[in-house]
Amino acid sequence: MRAEASPGATSSPVGDRGAAPSPLLKTESLAVRFGGLNALSGVNFELDREEVRAVIGPNGAGKSTFFNCLTGVLRPTGGRIIFNGEDITGLRPNLISQKGIARSYQITNILPNATTLENVRIAAQSRRHAWNMVSHHSAFADLNQKAEAALQSVGLLDKADELAANLSHGQQRNLEIGIALATEPQLLCLDEPTAGMSAAETNETKELIRRIAKDLTILIVEHDMEVVMELCDRITVLHYGQVLAEGSPQEIQQNPKVLEVYLKT
Amino acid sequence: MTDAPLDTARPLAKTRLSHTAAFWLAFSAVMALLIIAPLVLPEFWSGFLTEILIWGLLAMSSDLLIGYTGIVSFGHSAFFGLGMYGAAAALLLVSPPNLWLAIMFGLAGAAGAALCVAYFSTRIRDIYFAITTLIFAQIFYVIIFTWTSLTGGENGLIFDQPHFAIPFLVNVPFHTATMHWFVLAVVTASYLILRRITQSPFGMVLQSIRENEARTRAIGYPVERYKIVSVMLSGLFAGLAGALYAVQKEFAAPDFVYFIVSGETVIYNIIGGVGTLVGPIVGAGFYQLMRQFMAQWFGDQFPYLIPLGIVFIAMIIFLPQGLLGFARRWLNR
Repeated sequence: MRAEASPGATSSPVGDRGAAPSPLLKTESLAVRFGGLNALSGVNFELDREEVRAVIGPNGAGKSTFFNCLTGVLRPTGGRIIFNGEDITGLRPNLISQKGIARSYQITNILPNATTLENVRIAAQSRRHAWNMVSHHSAFADLNQKAEAALQSVGLLDKADELAANLSHGQQRNLEIGIALATEPQLLCLDEPTAGMSAAETNETKELIRRIAKDLTILIVEHDMEVVMELCDRITVLHYGQVLAEGSPQEIQQNPKVLEVYLKT
Repeated sequence: MTDAPLDTARPLAKTRLSHTAAFWLAFSAVMALLIIAPLVLPEFWSGFLTEILIWGLLAMSSDLLIGYTGIVSFGHSAFFGLGMYGAAAALLLVSPPNLWLAIMFGLAGAAGAALCVAYFSTRIRDIYFAITTLIFAQIFYVIIFTWTSLTGGENGLIFDQPHFAIPFLVNVPFHTATMHWFVLAVVTASYLILRRITQSPFGMVLQSIRENEARTRAIGYPVERYKIVSVMLSGLFAGLAGALYAVQKEFAAPDFVYFIVSGETVIYNIIGGVGTLVGPIVGAGFYQLMRQFMAQWFGDQFPYLIPLGIVFIAMIIFLPQGLLGFARRWLNR
């Protein structure tokens, strides 16, 4: 049973990468069933390299379920997830992370009583020195450099020695993204990155996402359509666990089915 | 990520230097006091201080789990007891009794128990894990209590104290002061090792697991393996404490495998301040001294647990961080 996914036009701004023809991420008839409820059914999804994609949909559309499948928190009951040509269906979250998919959490940071730099460094050391028991955790130049680079990309380098708990809400959310970046992902999944933010903070975060999107594939799961309209190359709309529509922001805005189920205006 | 040059001249290096100096100064002061203690204290109190250090080592080992990995074990008496009986086995079977063999046997015994508990730690969590460790320790207690032919049952085992021996160099019997210094050396080395472990990248992963297990997994850590190693390490240091206790007291008894020892270990941690390593030693000292004073003032039959319980509850209300909780960040830097 195939979902009625409309492939959408090919006029996306990221069609010119001939070197890597295969999509970075692909799901094949992905399905998740909770008891009698089909949270996801037959989701076919393709994400190109260096694309910024949003998955949106009304409450209960299956966005979070989809997100949790990609990051290994949920094991799909059917279908496959292919990342970089490799089947990663049902892998544990730590292995998914090692393959190069990072996620940000809405609830913030790892160690509230550690500094911003230390928080990011824990993520950086998951790739090397992780089992070292004899050196001080701050003694590795390569880790410090990676952590500082991640902090710089999220604009928190000047707060490196600040305790994470003392950051503002918006800064903590950016630290979240910094932690994800420090694992050097190929694909960054953001879970409602601007939820609960003030207008000014939202703008800053949008700016930040635009900045890091330059050499990173980003998947944003978002409830709020406004946020993703100007940020994303393409948008996928989920509805009742199926792909309802897919296309550029303009196409989605004009799609009558989307307008009907989602915008309800 | 950007390759732009980074401003690395942040003031961190300077503060770290002065912090390091202050830490080692405080460390040396405490060490000096503990080293001269047996020379000035009466024999009884000197032995008592040695005992406190051993309980402190047990409490510190459990702090690695409670304060750093964020899992509470109510079964540390199993590690302690197997360390004790392991040492007893070496001291009874090998003649002349050998100190290092006793410690090695003790560590092996505790490692065996720790392996089982480590397996549980990856399957069950929180209070269910705590209860399982409690049951596990009680199973060991019952086995030791009933297997009289091997363990001496209720009467325990009595043996001779080994000499302090380094092959071809020294071979002298212990007396109160040298026993104190030996235990002090082992406990200090254990502290420095545990401190280094908790400050290492590995230790940061443990603390990350304590704060948020799902998040730690999501940044790429196989959380289960880290838990296994941390339980094993904790069990080994607890077993070391048990072996030291056997060597100091020249006996092994089932009472020390009983769950009261496990409970006291958790109490030492809470009184002293979890996540500080030295806090639990201070907590053990505080608890043992209070108990000792009450026994001296009101007699052996005095129900000391009642006032101790009141003090404990008061501390939880008014000093929830424990005696050294205020210095946690400073001690861990």
